Amino acid sequence: MWSSTNTALANREPVGREFNGRVARVSKLRHSRPFVHVAALLCLLSVCAAQKIQAPTSVTAGEDATISTIGSGTATFYLFGPGVASKQDVRLGADIHLAAKDLQNAGAYTAVICGDPCRSTNIYVVASKTSGLTFLVHPSRVPVGQTDAVSGVAFPFDQFHNLVLAPVSVDFQLTAGASSLMSRAIHSENGVAWFRTASGKSAGPLQVVATVGALRAARAVQQVAFEPCNLRIKGQRTSKGIMVETEPVKDCAGNPLPDGTIVTFSASDANGKSTVDAPVKQGVARAQLEASDSMIVSAASGVVTGNELRIGARP
Amino acid sequence: MKFALPIILVAGTVALMVLAFFGVGVSASPVGVAHGSALPGLTSKAETPEQAVTNFLTDVQRRTWDRAFSSLGKASDVDEPTFIEDWTGTRGSLRSLSNLEQFDFRPLHASNDEAQMRVRLRWTTPVGPVEDVRDLRVAHEGDVWKVVWPKEPIPNVPAQVIPVTYLRWDLVTGGATDEWGSRNVDAPRVRITSMNASESAEGSVVMGEVVNEDTIPAFVNVNATLVDASGHPIDEESSFDKIDHVLLPKQVTPYRIDFPNTSLKNVKNVRMDVKATLVPASADPVIGVMDQKIDSDVQGKAVLHGKLLNQSGQTVNIPHVIASFYDNNGKVVWVSDGYVDRALLPQSTERFAVEIPRSLAGKIQNFHVVVNQYSLGQS
Amino acid sequence: MKISQLARAGFLVIAGLLLSALSMRAADSSPVVQLNTSKAGPRQIESLTERGILRDYRFAWTSLAQALEFNTVDPLDGPFVGDAKKWITDSVNSQKSSGLSTRHSDQNHKLEAVFYAPEGDVIELHDTAEYQLQLLDGSKTVYDAHVVMHYVVLMTPAADRWVIRQLQAVPQF
Repeated sequence: MWSSTNTALANREPVGREFNGRVARVSKLRHSRPFVHVAALLCLLSVCAAQKIQAPTSVTAGEDATISTIGSGTATFYLFGPGVASKQDVRLGADIHLAAKDLQNAGAYTAVICGDPCRSTNIYVVASKTSGLTFLVHPSRVPVGQTDAVSGVAFPFDQFHNLVLAPVSVDFQLTAGASSLMSRAIHSENGVAWFRTASGKSAGPLQVVATVGALRAARAVQQVAFEPCNLRIKGQRTSKGIMVETEPVKDCAGNPLPDGTIVTFSASDANGKSTVDAPVKQGVARAQLEASDSMIVSAASGVVTGNELRIGARP
Repeated sequence: MKFALPIILVAGTVALMVLAFFGVGVSASPVGVAHGSALPGLTSKAETPEQAVTNFLTDVQRRTWDRAFSSLGKASDVDEPTFIEDWTGTRGSLRSLSNLEQFDFRPLHASNDEAQMRVRLRWTTPVGPVEDVRDLRVAHEGDVWKVVWPKEPIPNVPAQVIPVTYLRWDLVTGGATDEWGSRNVDAPRVRITSMNASESAEGSVVMGEVVNEDTIPAFVNVNATLVDASGHPIDEESSFDKIDHVLLPKQVTPYRIDFPNTSLKNVKNVRMDVKATLVPASADPVIGVMDQKIDSDVQGKAVLHGKLLNQSGQTVNIPHVIASFYDNNGKVVWVSDGYVDRALLPQSTERFAVEIPRSLAGKIQNFHVVVNQYSLGQS
Repeated sequence: MKISQLARAGFLVIAGLLLSALSMRAADSSPVVQLNTSKAGPRQIESLTERGILRDYRFAWTSLAQALEFNTVDPLDGPFVGDAKKWITDSVNSQKSSGLSTRHSDQNHKLEAVFYAPEGDVIELHDTAEYQLQLLDGSKTVYDAHVVMHYVVLMTPAADRWVIRQLQAVPQF
């Protein structure tokens, strides 16, 4: 409820019980002094004046509404609300038509009629039925096999971009290729429905869909390989030194690490240490290391280290 | 009377000129160490090795290349364009953006015919002051001494075509009218894997390593806030250029954050913050770091030196070396960095050296070097 | 001499009173905002986030009040995006064309976080807002009331602040 103290009426003292806005103290009037009769009459008149404006308390967005007025003469009508501020001259006693286009945005509207004095009423516009979904999915890339790694949040909106606060059933579905990873129906609360789930086991695109009736919002999440697992290298001498390469770099679930992943090769010999940061190309990382003596070669990617190679001196 | 003021002004100007020319140098220096900076005036006849070096370097400083080249000894085995390139740098290298601000030198040994001078050159560069030390040979020819300029070996790289097959990542930004939630590319996932705060000669230092755990390149910056016992921040600093900002997937970089004139005595906590943003990048060029070794340099300082090998077909204009040093527990005890002032040509090498604080040299058990690089016209 | 000194002292006193009155007015016009995060979920609200939201929500309402009082859209650029910005901009433009304005003063906002997304990229707040609302036609006040309003607010993180994306008044929560 919108509670307010209208200062235009601040000086009116309530006389007895209010009944449809009219003071019902007729019996007391019969026994009062003349100036009290006048005061009561004036009071009645002012109470009658209070009934100049009547409006629905709640309207659905995008629908017309009507405000009825009582009285005679002309007045100025004001309408303030989200996205709306208008002013027009009106005749008291006639209905004031509020166009649908003025009541599209959900929220609180104040209608004021200023004759003498100004009177006001409040109208709430509520969202209409769901006609759109805002769907946020995170992350855009997710390592495979992670618990609670994928989450989605859906907000239902009506055609005027008002948040639909009434409960709405949202179906969430996750599919990777042909297999379904999750299918769940969630009722929205406070205008939001959400889910959280684990990522799949295979790298590749993950389709995430939110559905409300015929409405559908789809997002894609890229499932990527996790940390390299069993990083193994092999090497051989060349005329320039040592050519070292990894076996196909994969995670523990067998997903190949994407090209561009950096593998750091290190070689230690009598001359010191040599390192090369080489990117994976077609699943394998290679590097040329200068060396004349026997050396120990190792590789690492991120925080994962691989095996060591001992390569003998040049014959 | 009316000529008094002009006379005083002229006399004062002449006196200041004489003082500048013959008086105490720009900076005080130990006895026996000659020095110089860009000062107006004439150069004296090179009757001593010191004067020869002073004249030569003054001409270099003023960029009067014809004079400098003509003052070289007969034994110099270099043509003028090559000589000028040695000093001015080429191919967008750091040297090509630098100025020789100051120099000083001292004799290593001298005889009647020949002398060896150790010259310390101080360059102003876009990345701060850079010091270079080199030994100059000076020969006695007739009644003057002349600097003998050595021929720098030119890398003999055969002409060839090198295909670029490494991955490249481009970044496409969304349109201005993107609907909320409809297009979403998350920032790269990076993680600080280690952090160590310690005192240094200039104040305090926070250092460690950070890894790009994602499958796309990340532009990374690390900030640290020193917090006192009551939770109030004392100071906040960034890693600035002591980090390899562009990290490819699974790449690790050290970082160092300096807090000058701040002691760790009142620091109760260090709040770390790593920011990563999407950035276009290329996996090329691949730069190998060869023959890394800890030694003492000619000045007796502990340095990690080695050579950079450009294994690609692209010139690296300004290579930047960042090295992390570990103790026997694998903890990062220091991070050093240094710029190579020559461009790293394709299939060629350039030497580098980064300094290690003397107090830490004995604790270092291992080290790791990464190469940051700036190439003109490349992202 | 004495008269000029007295005049100078009097001027200083008046200037001081004016300044303090202005600062009091500035203090009065700054909204009071409180945030209750006990019901936020599924993600816990970090303390830095809580401070940021308080700061940015207060700034947003200050900007909204300025925009609607002085009929300028400039204050809306930072704190509002999306539909919230559009609605307030439309209000400002409508007011301007009709010669109307709105004043929000003595603002007091009690925020309750009811939803914080798992990735922290959106937060829903319920705001029980009390303020003095004046609707003006030129210089004439046509409505002046102390109101208590209920807003459903959606905020999302922008480059350097939290911004209001949806600001929807409801009869009750």
